[in-house]
Amino acid sequence: MANAWKIARKSNVQLPLILVVALAVVVVLLGKAQGTLFDRMRAHATDTMAPVLEKLRAPVAGFDRFFGSITEIFSVYEQNLKLKEENARLRQWRNVAIVLQGRVARYQTLLHAVPDPKLNAVLARVIGRANRPFLRTMILDAGRADHALPGQAVMDARGMIGRVFLAGQRTSWVILLTDLNSRVPVAIAPGNVQAMMTGDNSATPRLELVSRTVTLHAGDQVTSSGDGGLLPAGLPIGTVVADGEGWRVSLLADASASQDVEILNFSKPPEAPPSSAELPAEAAGLKPQVPLPPASAVMAQIPAPAKPKPATPIEAAPVGPASADEDEDR
Amino acid sequence: MVRLERAQAPRFRYLVAMIPMAAGLAGVAIANFPVSILGGLVPAPLFGLVPVYFWCLVRPDLMTPAVSFSIGFAEDILSGGPPGIWTLAFVLTYALVARQRESFAGLSGMAAVLGFAGAATFACAVAYFTVAGLNLLSGLRWPPLVPIISELMMTVAFYVPATLVVGWLHHKLIGASRSDV
Repeated sequence: MANAWKIARKSNVQLPLILVVALAVVVVLLGKAQGTLFDRMRAHATDTMAPVLEKLRAPVAGFDRFFGSITEIFSVYEQNLKLKEENARLRQWRNVAIVLQGRVARYQTLLHAVPDPKLNAVLARVIGRANRPFLRTMILDAGRADHALPGQAVMDARGMIGRVFLAGQRTSWVILLTDLNSRVPVAIAPGNVQAMMTGDNSATPRLELVSRTVTLHAGDQVTSSGDGGLLPAGLPIGTVVADGEGWRVSLLADASASQDVEILNFSKPPEAPPSSAELPAEAAGLKPQVPLPPASAVMAQIPAPAKPKPATPIEAAPVGPASADEDEDR
Repeated sequence: MVRLERAQAPRFRYLVAMIPMAAGLAGVAIANFPVSILGGLVPAPLFGLVPVYFWCLVRPDLMTPAVSFSIGFAEDILSGGPPGIWTLAFVLTYALVARQRESFAGLSGMAAVLGFAGAATFACAVAYFTVAGLNLLSGLRWPPLVPIISELMMTVAFYVPATLVVGWLHHKLIGASRSDV
């Protein structure tokens, strides 16, 4: 019988099994401590595979749609009736929303409210999906060359899908909201209840409420809270559904069917110093003891974000919140 | 016999020795190709484990610990999970199968499938408990059991067709003989 723990079976050049086991343990520990090493390899692998994936995308999507719709054939009539009813209801709500939007705009004008910052977005195509035991992800055809960076939110037309957690040059990996490692601070309306939405590989992520005293209701709206500054506030995520043990979120977006998504580039611009006229001393009618330099001179001293160079776009992209978020996901 | 003699010629020996590793890496690449079938309802099977199991029983001189390490490492890189878990799982499964080689190799028919199912269960258990340990170190919850059980069931379900391919490769390119090493 072969002795599995021998140094070699036929030659002396093979590694002993015990050494290979030890090496495997080292890889596990190294992966825990220095995950970016492996992330780089993964990003390089998908960058290399991207052209093949893009070519395979259309036939595979058609195949997937065909098989995915087989079970729905028998319920088409009921679904059609339900959709017509829902459509009529949504038309009513659309009219209400238009009226409310106009009212909000008038109030903002009256209050001189600061409008929400507009977000830059990169449109990307889903070129791959992976459903593994410890990771649910999708691969997009936009990477660092398109200013897609780790930490940025990924949306489809209905709502948030997940966040970029690994960006190669031409591709990026998205950690889905349903993934075990996903944690997103959310706000629940009405009442602006703060909670943490955590994925557990099921279709409906779990809600962990910050306060134990609040009461939720099925159908409450869940949006991103913007806490921590990693994601913008107000991104639509889903609705609250009751679970036997607590509350979960029924997501608006369908990650398994999304084909084109947006990667939101959320980075806060540097805050400009107030002009001298706005300082409290000026407002009180006093002159400042030290003459302040003009605001334009102060702004000139703030290093402006470098313009992206076509050849090396990585340095041009903001990485502050992204790297922290990447570490958080590990 | 001609094929076997050709395979044993010195100039082909190195190519033959690479077939198990190439088959394992191909299995990993196929399983981890990021294309979702059936809307991602089921995970892809661990195709890389089949060559490790097969050649560990049939030709352990070709499926060495280092080769199983490489196949597991490729699974880690392409699957995107916590690094190192499949490397450790594949190497420990290799150790188990190599130690019980005579028991596993004597199985046939449904018992052979059950033998592989035992090895795959061991691999999935190693991966699961490694991830659970890492999660506990980070203060996270235990990973859910359903995905890893789905992975195990898919791997066992695809064992027979995958073994047919691996067996065909073995007979055509390496030789029919079983190593007595």
